[in-house]
Amino acid sequence: MTLQEGIYHAPGKRPGRFFALLFLRAAPGVTAPQVADALAGLWQMYGGLKAGQVRDLDGVVLPHDEDALTVLLGFGRNAFELSGTALPRPRGLGDEYLFRSADPSGGGLLLRGSGLRYGADVRANMATEAFCVQAIAETKLATDRVVVETWKALADHVNPELGAAPLQLTTFYLGFQRNDHRSWIDFHDGLSNLRSADREDVIAIAAGADQAWAVGGTYLAFLRLAVDLPGWRRLSRRDQELAVGRDKLSGCPIVEVDGERLVTDPGCPVAGTQIWESPNDAPFAEPPQTDDTLVRRSHVQRANHHQRPASDSGSRRIFRQGYEFLEWSAGAPGFSAGLNFVSFQDTPERLLRMLTAGGWLGGTNFGGDEEHLPELAGLLSVYGAGVYFMPPVTEGERFPGAAALGG
Amino acid sequence: MPYGSPGHADELSEELIARWNDVIVTTAESLASFKTRFFELDPAKLRDPELSDAVKWPGDPAAPTFCVDEPTVRALCDWPEIGRRSVQLEYCECAVINARDAGGRLRPKRVEVTTELREYWSCIAMHDPDRVRAMAADVLGREPDWEELFGVADPHPLSPEQREIAFGHTVGGHGNNQRLIDAGVPAQPTGRLNIDHALFMTHPINGLDDFLYVVMFGSHPYGVRAGSQIRQATGDDIYTAKEVKHLSCNHADPTITLGAYDNAFAGRQTGFADPIGMYIRVPNLDVFFYGDDPIPPEWARFGRGRASMYQRLVFGPPDDHEAFLDDITVSVGASDQPLTGGYQLLRELEVGLRLLVGHTDPIAESEWELLEPAPAPIACDTDDACATVRELARRLEAEQSGRSALRTL
Repeated sequence: MTLQEGIYHAPGKRPGRFFALLFLRAAPGVTAPQVADALAGLWQMYGGLKAGQVRDLDGVVLPHDEDALTVLLGFGRNAFELSGTALPRPRGLGDEYLFRSADPSGGGLLLRGSGLRYGADVRANMATEAFCVQAIAETKLATDRVVVETWKALADHVNPELGAAPLQLTTFYLGFQRNDHRSWIDFHDGLSNLRSADREDVIAIAAGADQAWAVGGTYLAFLRLAVDLPGWRRLSRRDQELAVGRDKLSGCPIVEVDGERLVTDPGCPVAGTQIWESPNDAPFAEPPQTDDTLVRRSHVQRANHHQRPASDSGSRRIFRQGYEFLEWSAGAPGFSAGLNFVSFQDTPERLLRMLTAGGWLGGTNFGGDEEHLPELAGLLSVYGAGVYFMPPVTEGERFPGAAALGG
Repeated sequence: MPYGSPGHADELSEELIARWNDVIVTTAESLASFKTRFFELDPAKLRDPELSDAVKWPGDPAAPTFCVDEPTVRALCDWPEIGRRSVQLEYCECAVINARDAGGRLRPKRVEVTTELREYWSCIAMHDPDRVRAMAADVLGREPDWEELFGVADPHPLSPEQREIAFGHTVGGHGNNQRLIDAGVPAQPTGRLNIDHALFMTHPINGLDDFLYVVMFGSHPYGVRAGSQIRQATGDDIYTAKEVKHLSCNHADPTITLGAYDNAFAGRQTGFADPIGMYIRVPNLDVFFYGDDPIPPEWARFGRGRASMYQRLVFGPPDDHEAFLDDITVSVGASDQPLTGGYQLLRELEVGLRLLVGHTDPIAESEWELLEPAPAPIACDTDDACATVRELARRLEAEQSGRSALRTL
């Protein structure tokens, strides 16, 4: 059993530039086998999209060579509430591995012990459905088309007994990659992601670590994080750099604070190169250990304690594969910018404990001097959060995880 | 050298400091076959040392999680007496203190967690019985009788060696020390003091010799030939080649060995910061609630060491408070669970070493210890690896269902 596509962990593999994450709700009263039939239809349709075939254009082959579309199917906790489910719920979909719900009146903590909160206008978390589908492609059309074609396929699949489609597309989130290796706060991002050699150990569920049928699969954790850019831009460059833990321009890790001066390794980056390029990636991309208490409060130091082996969930290493977003929003500044945080790990515990543990990101929103800088304490707001099990590919199944639904 | 008392928890005489350092040196010398130039016991000999606290791990037992489901792991870990002596193998042990509530029901009141080394307490007990009694009194909140510590009315007339044996019998166990084993000291103490309480660690593999071994074992210039290059060995490569696969299945041992190995591979030396010890990192107490409020800070009492070097945590309400441990909820993910034992607390803790990393000469071509690459990942869920845990789980199930009443291991 192997991991599904759409997790770009192999050496040299880069994820496509565009991203969509779709959420599918099971209709009331629907059974697991009925859902399995609907998912099998979707899976077949996605295969067609990869080959340029679209539902309403019989016999036409659309340009698709540049798309490099991948589709990844995930099971949420609700999938295992369906009657007729044939396999036990993977351990990582237990309550203790999920995010808390938003308050009905809006807002609320993502996790007790974390400084991340739902946006004040979030009254329901839309990212907790029975299934999710991640689409990644090199063209925006390819990911957008997955959304529309999913709707078509589900709309055409009305079950006569139910009088409705077994699955409904409830929401979707879109994102894109940046070619500057930075995020909306203008700092470099994703530099200290896992070494290639460690990735599969972190991502894939090992024998004995979960339900037998889950071995070889993984968990996707998703956070739709909006950034308070007006607040961020009120901060001085120094406060921003201490919050992130990197030099804003070069991306080099800050190793100590010397009075007003933030010190980086004098050899970083190698002249004429960018931080993400060789030979900087090995020595400088991952921030070094430091005793400096101010630097240790920074985001990059809190998120990675350099613990080995990465295969031990206690290292809290995760494989990140995030995508930025930008959308219209009422009120200043007239848009919402942020990150579709996506991570893959063999147990959601890695991420949840990273977000709640003392000395890690526990009690913080982002990092830095949150006690004295309210802009940092409210920098990120959650607009969707979910944990999904991504079944392994098993030969002979109509779609990954089909056996769990009796189909 | 010399190292101070672990955590600098005790102000010791020069004589006692010397005796404690004798224990450290003797233990290291017993592991001389693992010594390379990438390990240095004397911190004063390290070149430009930098402190590292990256070698740390969760306090909850990892190995059983590969063998049985999580509720069973929790039940095993919290199994009175047996859990501590069978699965709490991460250099962190705990004991649950029970008390009767107003209705007369026996309920968990507090959890005591310790990372203190048996060898240290045994050393003090050998050479200064009054000091070890004072240490115990500090931990217990009352002065224990000599019988509780040594099994005799007065340990002073005994020789140091006799005290070591008496202390081992009563509160320390043998710690895999051959002299004590030969003297008939059992693996676990026979007295109640260090069973009813977590005075210090007693499991034979939570000892000073064990963590010295894993640090020294990791401090080697291992490598794997990859074409014309030498690549860094993985944990699987090392444990498979050295036939110590069992080291890969818990939190502590691979973290320690690979932490030391990373230094060696980078051509650096590993040593211990003064004082040598196992230390509890302060957790995020915001995940614990009493009612709707965070627990009062005084319900988590760290001790037996200075800040960043705590070796003891007593967690739960004091005796004069009406609350019990299971009135506290711990928030984990989307669930709020009553805190019913030590396992849930251990999951929130991190335990670790304080290492020094010094500069040394690069690895010479002739120094590489080349290993064969591991043919397959190490499996921690095999019948062999899980035999003990699964047998324990069967016994626990039998005890809980009343089919059996096994009381000893």
